Order: sequence, then C-alpha cells, then structure tokens
Amino acid sequence: MNYDWSVVWQYRQMLLDGIGITILLTVLTMLVAVPGGILLALMRLSSMPWLARGSTAFVELFRNLPLILVVYWAFYVMPMVSDIELSAFNTGLLALCLNVSAYNSETFRAGIQSIRKGQAEAAVALGFSNTQAMFKIILPQAWRRVLPVLASTWVALFKDTSLVSVIAVGELAHASMTIRSQTFRVLEMLTAMAVIYWMLGYPQAKLVDWIREKYKVNE
Amino acid sequence: MSTSYTHRPGALREPVLNYRNITKRYGQFQALHGISLDVFKGEVVCLIGPSGSGKSTVLRCTNALEAINSGEILVNGITLPKDDRSIRKVRQRMGMVFQNFELFPHKNTLQNVAIALTTVLGMNVADANAHAARMLEKVGLSDKMENYPANLSGGQQQRVAIARALAMQPEVMLFDEPTSALDPETIGEVLSVMKTLAEEGMTMVVVTHEMTFARKVADWVIVFDQGTIIEQGPSAQIFDNPTVERTRTFLNHLGWSG
Repeated sequence: MNYDWSVVWQYRQMLLDGIGITILLTVLTMLVAVPGGILLALMRLSSMPWLARGSTAFVELFRNLPLILVVYWAFYVMPMVSDIELSAFNTGLLALCLNVSAYNSETFRAGIQSIRKGQAEAAVALGFSNTQAMFKIILPQAWRRVLPVLASTWVALFKDTSLVSVIAVGELAHASMTIRSQTFRVLEMLTAMAVIYWMLGYPQAKLVDWIREKYKVNE
Repeated sequence: MSTSYTHRPGALREPVLNYRNITKRYGQFQALHGISLDVFKGEVVCLIGPSGSGKSTVLRCTNALEAINSGEILVNGITLPKDDRSIRKVRQRMGMVFQNFELFPHKNTLQNVAIALTTVLGMNVADANAHAARMLEKVGLSDKMENYPANLSGGQQQRVAIARALAMQPEVMLFDEPTSALDPETIGEVLSVMKTLAEEGMTMVVVTHEMTFARKVADWVIVFDQGTIIEQGPSAQIFDNPTVERTRTFLNHLGWSG
C-alpha cells in the first residue's frame, strides 16, 4: 500500500474553502438559533396558550427528527410542496437552524426555570413589568447558567454541519469527499478530514471547559 | 375579634391600607378567612403568629403578588386595581423586603439599588446612581457599593434590599420576616435600620418573629392564627396583657416573658 499525502496539499484551496463554509454555517446557525431559542422558550413559558402550544409543537417536532431527514426534506420536498426554493447552502442553513433552535429553546427554558421565583417577585414588587423582569433580571442570570450548555451545543453543531454535505454544500466534509472521489485517495482524505475536524474541534471543546469554569454560578 | 381603636393614636390619621374581609385559598387550603385590618399613616404594624397562620399571605396580597379570592384591599382609600398597568403604579409606592433578600446576584450593590430607578422611573443612570448611593449611605453601606451580593453578609444583603426598596420613595414598607434568614449576630443591624425608619415616620407593616422588636417598635400588633386575626392592640397590651388565651400560648412558646 502506498500513501500519497500530497493530495492534501494539492487540494488545499478546496479544503480551506470547506473549512470556511463549515465555520460560516456554524456561526450563522448560532446567530439565528440563539435568539430563536430564546424566543421559543419565552413563547413556551408565556401565559398565552396558543403561543405555548405552537412553540411546544415546533420544539418537539424538530428535536425528534433526525437532522439528516430535515436536510433532505428541505432540499427535495419543500420546493415540491411550496414555491420556496433555496440554494443548497441556504437549505442546509435552514435545516440546521430549525434543529438547533429547538435544542436551544429547551436549554433556555431550563435556564429560565432554574432562577428562583423570588427574583421575579422582587423585580415586580419594585414596579417592573413582567417583560422588564424577564429581560433585566431573569434572562441575564439564566444566560450565565446556560452558557456552558450553549458552548457544548456549539461544538456539536460544528461537527453536525457535515450532515449538509448530503445536499452538496461545499463544507469541509463535502470538499473532502469530492477530493476523494476525484483522486481515489480514500485513506488519505478521510484521515486528513478527521485531523482537520479534530484540530478545529479540540480547542473549542477546551474553550467550553474554560467557560464552564469561568461562569460557574456564584450566589 | 376586638377592633376597638380607643388606644390607637394612629387611627386619628388617614388610613394607608384597609383590608376588608379578604379571603385567600390555595386549592383546598384556606389561607385567610375574611381578614379585616387597617394601617394608618406613620404607624408600625407588626403581624405576629405561628408559621402558616397567614401573616405573609396578607403582605403578599397587599402588593398583589398574590390575588385575593374575595374582599377588598384599599390603598389610600382606593381599591387595589386588577389590571397590570395600574397594579404596577401601586407597587411603585410600596417597598417590599423579602425573607431571602432577593438581591439581583448579577448586579453589584449600587446597581441593585439603582436598577428600578432607571427601569421603572426612567431616571438617567447618573441621577439613579447618585440617589442609590444616598440610600446605601442611609443603611450604612457606602463602602460596599462595588460588592456583589455573594460577597456580602446576610445582614448587609438585607440592608441593601431595604435601600433598594427605599430608593423608590415608597409610602409604605412591607417587611416579610426580614430577619428570619439571618445569622443571630447580623439580626441587630437590620432591626436597627428598621427602627430608624420607624422613627422617621415611615408607615411599616412587618411580619416578624422578633418579639422584642415588635414590643419596642410596633404601634399596633396583630396576632394571627390559622388564617384569622385572634387579637390586635397596642404592643404593650398584646405583650404584657394579652386578652386571648391563644396569644398567651403563642408568646409562651416563643419564650416571651414580658
């Protein structure tokens, strides 16, 4: 068996582009799914039953469907049943946002519910509206508590973006697979892909540990 | 139930709070059975009685943290409103101090006192901070403005909570067992702040198990048991000469001997 690692260097531009798209997908998904998760959590905790039910339905649907199915569905079925037709990148982004928003919603809901009732009462007794109490008193405290969980979600998401390769979004996994099929260098490309994911993912996991330590709840 | 006000000097002044036959249920549990009582301007009214007798519930109904099931609460002669916006206006004029302080742990001491001024009253940050600093000076915590609640003793936290309530310039202060969660050595500093407030003429409703404080500072003492008022009167009468047997039993249980 002879190895030819030169393909990695030869196709470096494609791999770098893939890394760029992987990072872009992760960042954009979180930019949507953090506010989206907060919104869904607030809806679910609201006193308006139809808002709460709508949010619950959304969360339970997307939390319990395999992400890859959502990706396929958005790519093949959505254009059939509606007029919406997105680029592969946007389709992948949409599927990731739906999935991660549902997860983040549960994270924020748990965080909000972990703040004891007296905090809201103290704010309300001072004349705060319920909305002011939520945004000035409850959410800032809940945010600190859920930050480590969000960071873990981030790391998981970074790897899960590889799933959108199935609809030919040119992120790292798809780029590696494309190079593999063009060069037939299976071992080299899959190994290179593993090394790249690991080298990018490991520092993020370490960062999560650091955040967990730094934002430990101190009351 | 005796509601003779012959010995109640405060009754000559205008009422701040009137409770008229209020009831409160939690599911099957009847917490309040038709409570009627009055609080007059400048009075210190202490609510005493065994745990679970309804004292705290009365306090929590006063600023609508709990809704009453029937009866009426009047604030300055006006019925406590039901809609959210009007309730918020009423709450701004009532300071509340909680058993567990409920300081905001993500804000430092100064911010804890200032946040309602900016959020609720729309004051600018500089004015709010200046006012908050004056309030902290009043409770003797000028040197702790930068500290976070986690780095304060229980007594200090409760004094910050009092300053936070006072900053809104309330007409009445509601204290819900303000010293029950404190170490014995820090109870005194909180009671002394409360005593100063009373001397300045603040109208105060205090739910407490501190009988010495109630005896010395209260103008009027109301004894609760099982969701009813069993006796009320001037503190000297309640503590030195209670007319109801159950009051005597309760005070004896606390080791009160006059």
